[in-house]
Formats: sequence, C-alpha cells, structure tokens
Amino acid sequence: MTPRAETTVARTVAAPRGASWLETIAVHAVFALVVVFFLAPFVWLFTAAFDGRAQAYIRLPEQPTVDNFARIFTEHDFARALGNSVLVAGATMLLDVVAVSLAGYSLSRLDLRFKSWITYAVLLLQTMPLSATMVPIYGLAQALGLRNSYLGLILIHAAIELPFLIWLMKGFFDGVPRYLEEAAWLDGRSKLRALIEIVLPVARNGIGVVAGLSFLAAWSEVLMMIILIDKQDLKTVPLAFYEVLRTRGGYTEVQYGLIAAMGVLYAVPVMAIFFATRRMMVRGLIATSRGL
Amino acid sequence: MVVARNSAYLIGLTPAALLLSLFFVGPALWAAYSSLTNLALVGIDAANPRFIGLDNYARLFSDPDFWQVIRNSVTFVVGSAVIGQFGLGLGLALLIDHAERRRWWFATVAYAAVLLAWVNPTLIAGFLWVAMYDFFFGSLNHVFLSALGLPPVDWLGSFPMPAVIVANVWRGTAFTMIIFLGALKTIPPDIYEAARIDGAGTWRRFWDHTIPSLRPIVALTLLSITMSTFGTFIVIQALTNGGPGIATEVIALYAFDSAFKSFSIGYGSAIAAVMLALNLVFAVVYLRWSRARA
Repeated sequence: MTPRAETTVARTVAAPRGASWLETIAVHAVFALVVVFFLAPFVWLFTAAFDGRAQAYIRLPEQPTVDNFARIFTEHDFARALGNSVLVAGATMLLDVVAVSLAGYSLSRLDLRFKSWITYAVLLLQTMPLSATMVPIYGLAQALGLRNSYLGLILIHAAIELPFLIWLMKGFFDGVPRYLEEAAWLDGRSKLRALIEIVLPVARNGIGVVAGLSFLAAWSEVLMMIILIDKQDLKTVPLAFYEVLRTRGGYTEVQYGLIAAMGVLYAVPVMAIFFATRRMMVRGLIATSRGL
Repeated sequence: MVVARNSAYLIGLTPAALLLSLFFVGPALWAAYSSLTNLALVGIDAANPRFIGLDNYARLFSDPDFWQVIRNSVTFVVGSAVIGQFGLGLGLALLIDHAERRRWWFATVAYAAVLLAWVNPTLIAGFLWVAMYDFFFGSLNHVFLSALGLPPVDWLGSFPMPAVIVANVWRGTAFTMIIFLGALKTIPPDIYEAARIDGAGTWRRFWDHTIPSLRPIVALTLLSITMSTFGTFIVIQALTNGGPGIATEVIALYAFDSAFKSFSIGYGSAIAAVMLALNLVFAVVYLRWSRARA
C-alpha cells in the first residue's frame, strides 16, 4: 500500500451514544495521569533551565533568569557544540536526501527477478542494532582516518538511517505513476533529469519526511559521537552534555541549571521541527508499518 | 537484456550500496571474524592479533556474568517493550481514538504529551529521569512522595530494573501509539455501521471488528520495538550504568563496556556476534510475517 493511499476515513463515523458521567470521569482521569507522567520531567527541565539555583526537583524559580544559558556559552563553549551539531545533522540530511532519492527510486523501478530479495535485505539491515557493530565501526573509522572528523560523523550518520529511509521512500515512489516519467523520457530527458524534474516534485512529501527524519536522527544520535569524537573542537551537543555531567564535583554540586539549559537548547529544535511537520512525519511512520 | 534495462537503476543504487556495505555489512562480517581472535584496543595484542578459534565464545558462555546479562536483557525487553511500550501504547491508542470520536479535546493533550517524550533526544530522556529518581532531591521523592507524606525511596538502588524500565517506557511508548492510531483510523466506517444496524453493542463491535483489524500489525510492531529495545543502552547508561553491581547490565551495554572499558575487542566482538545472531532470528521471523501480509 502506498503512503498517500491511506486516508483518514474513520473520522466520519458517527459519535457513539452519549457518554455516561462515569465514563467521562474515568477516561479523563486516565488522561490526566498520562499527562502528569509524560510531562513532569519536562516541567522540571524548563523550570530548572531558568532557575539560578536549580535543584533536581521541580520548583518554580524564585527569580527567573537566563544566567544558565549565558554560562553554558561562556564556560562550556556551547556555541561551538551547537554549530557542530547543526553542521553534522545538516550535511547528513543532504547526503541522505540524495542517496535515498536515487536508491528509493531505483529500487522502486528496478525490474529484476530477485528484486524482492534486495528489498528484504534492506529491511534486514534496518533491524541490525548499532550497538552490535559499534566496535568494528570504531576500528574502521580509525583505519580510514574518520575518527575525529566531520566527514566520518556525516558518513556514518547518513548510513545509519539509510535502510529505513530507502524503504520508506520506495513506498512513496511506488505511488508515483510511471507514465509521468515515461512521457519525460519521450521528450528526450535522461532518467536522472526525469527523476529530478518530474518524479521528485510529485514525491516531495516523501522527500520532506526523509529530510526531517534524517536531520532529527543525526541530531539525537549519541553512541557514534561518543566513540568517534574526543577532540574539544569537534564536540557536538551530546558531548557537551557529558562534559558538564563529568565536571560535576561532589554529589551536591551537580550543575542542574546548566544541564537543564543545555537540554532545553538541545530538545527544543527537535520538538519544533517535529511538531511543525508532525502530520507528514506521522503519516510516513504509519506507512512503514505496512510497507511490504 | 536484463542488465541494460536496469543499468541506470543499478547505478542509482550505488551510493547507498557503498555506504551500507561500508558501515553495515562490513562491520558485521568483521565482528564475526574478530570474535575468533584475541584482538585488543591497546597492548601487544593490538598489533598482532592471533586467531584463537572459539575461545572467546567459550569464555563468554562460561561467564556467569554473561548469563545474568542475558536475563537482564530479557527482563528489560519484556518489561519495557512488550508490556510497557506496547501495552500502554495500544491502550492509549484505543482510548484516544474513542475520546476523539466523543470530541474530547483532552485526548489531544495526552497524545501530544506522549509524543513529546518520544521526539526528545534519548540522552535527555536519560538525564531527565536521573533528576526524577535522585534520592535526596529528585522530584519523585521530594515532590510527589513527600506530598503524600511518604518516606523517600532509593529508586535506582532498591528497584534499579523497574526504574530503567519505566524511563524507557516513558521514552518509547509513542511509537506503538502512533502506529495503532493510524490503523484504527483506516477501519472502514461501514463496518461499524453494519454492526450497529445488526444491533451489536460497543463491546461486541470492539471484539468482533476493532481487534481483528488490528491483529496483522500487532506482531510487526511487537517485533520492531523488541529489536530496537534489545540494541539500546543509552538510557540505562545514564541512569545506572548497569549497576548496582550488574543488576541492569544489558547485552548492548555489556558489549560497550567490554570493548571500550576493558579494551578487549575480541571478547566484545563475540558479544556483538551473539547479538547479531539473536537479532537475525527476530528479523527473519519479522520478514516472514511481513511477507505473509503482502
């Protein structure tokens, strides 16, 4: 089934008969518990970030301040970490969009007897845990000079999400009718030009999902950053995070305010991107659950 | 000609194929090979690794810690993925779908709250729960328990496994919820209409129509979150780092510690090879079920 074929039909179902007061209260009580459980940690994050004397527990700042934010930039060079993270995630996104467009389209149009096996192989790679291959990847990066390099981080981050994204994008391309590109070929366009000028604009929702997910994944990834980067100049946001955690002195001196301020600046872009594009993202995710 | 017809597409697959062989296939094969050597990150074995056959595996399988780690992994996966994320995610999807039909706006708030925890970077999820669980000043003890007049609990010391499971459920429930909400919305309304005309009550409709239409994706969702939970350890590393003792040491963290703390690559690779083998079993079942649906 193609991603664009699923439409929300159930919205037209007539509402069930009126709810009893018992049902109304019970359902809302469950939702209230859910909201408290899922939001409480965030309430702490956002209050502590603006609290000059932040603690591990939730409390309203006596005097809201942006001191913590100023300190992470002056004392921990957070601007560099942010810049590095944006650079790595942005380049990963570009590389993924190119590689996934080419591969997804090719896989969709390939006319081979063992084509389904290629699709399954891609799916199989998607299930491979990174924690099982981190040691060889470390050795490989060491041998190729990709440790402590932007290129290494970018290539690896692009590779990590490839299987999932190719599979996702193949679904979008399967939904693009072939007569569109065939007409373009008759006009004398090459296959590559037909893909770029005719097919990609039709599949732009898919490209949007690929771009968004690859950026978010590279931005949030931690493991490869830990094992591949140990130079100050190259530290990304997660590494700056670990740095503050490590420099905590005694048990009572944990710099909760600084950590929370970093957390806010790390999490807010992700939340903003995701919620701005959530319909597209959620549709893309649902499409993968019925991909084959 | 098969090749001529496909040549452009085969070229199109090349960049992705290169990246995948370099960072997926190659490393997996290398893990299998180096698990048969005494390769180390530092010291004399780093320069001249020797082939030692199945010694690493013999050592691994006779290591009582390893079996404890396997038990921990099973507990963690069953607790946080199968029971926690899946159970809670499915329950919430059903409840939110129901509430949306009644046009209760609070359902959207609950949906957004669950989603927020999921899009949030994993490292933050780990650290937020470090703060929540803190014995002296964490919100759980200092705010919630003290409001109820209860004494503080040493969450990470006394209940380490349940604590990391709760944190991981918090982080990952949204995936299952999203998938099932999507599935619920594609149930054709005429099925419900027909059932209503036949005089079937809410529960009858639920058992006869809602549940069967969800069944095909139950297995796939379960396997998918099982595999991703099996390979994750960042949240655990932030919360307990495997402790106290090895009470929350899961296999992925064990592989990390063996390779990057004890610097024994061969031994770490043996663990990685075991992970890959287990994962392959899950994946093959997953693919069979996917194909059965097609």
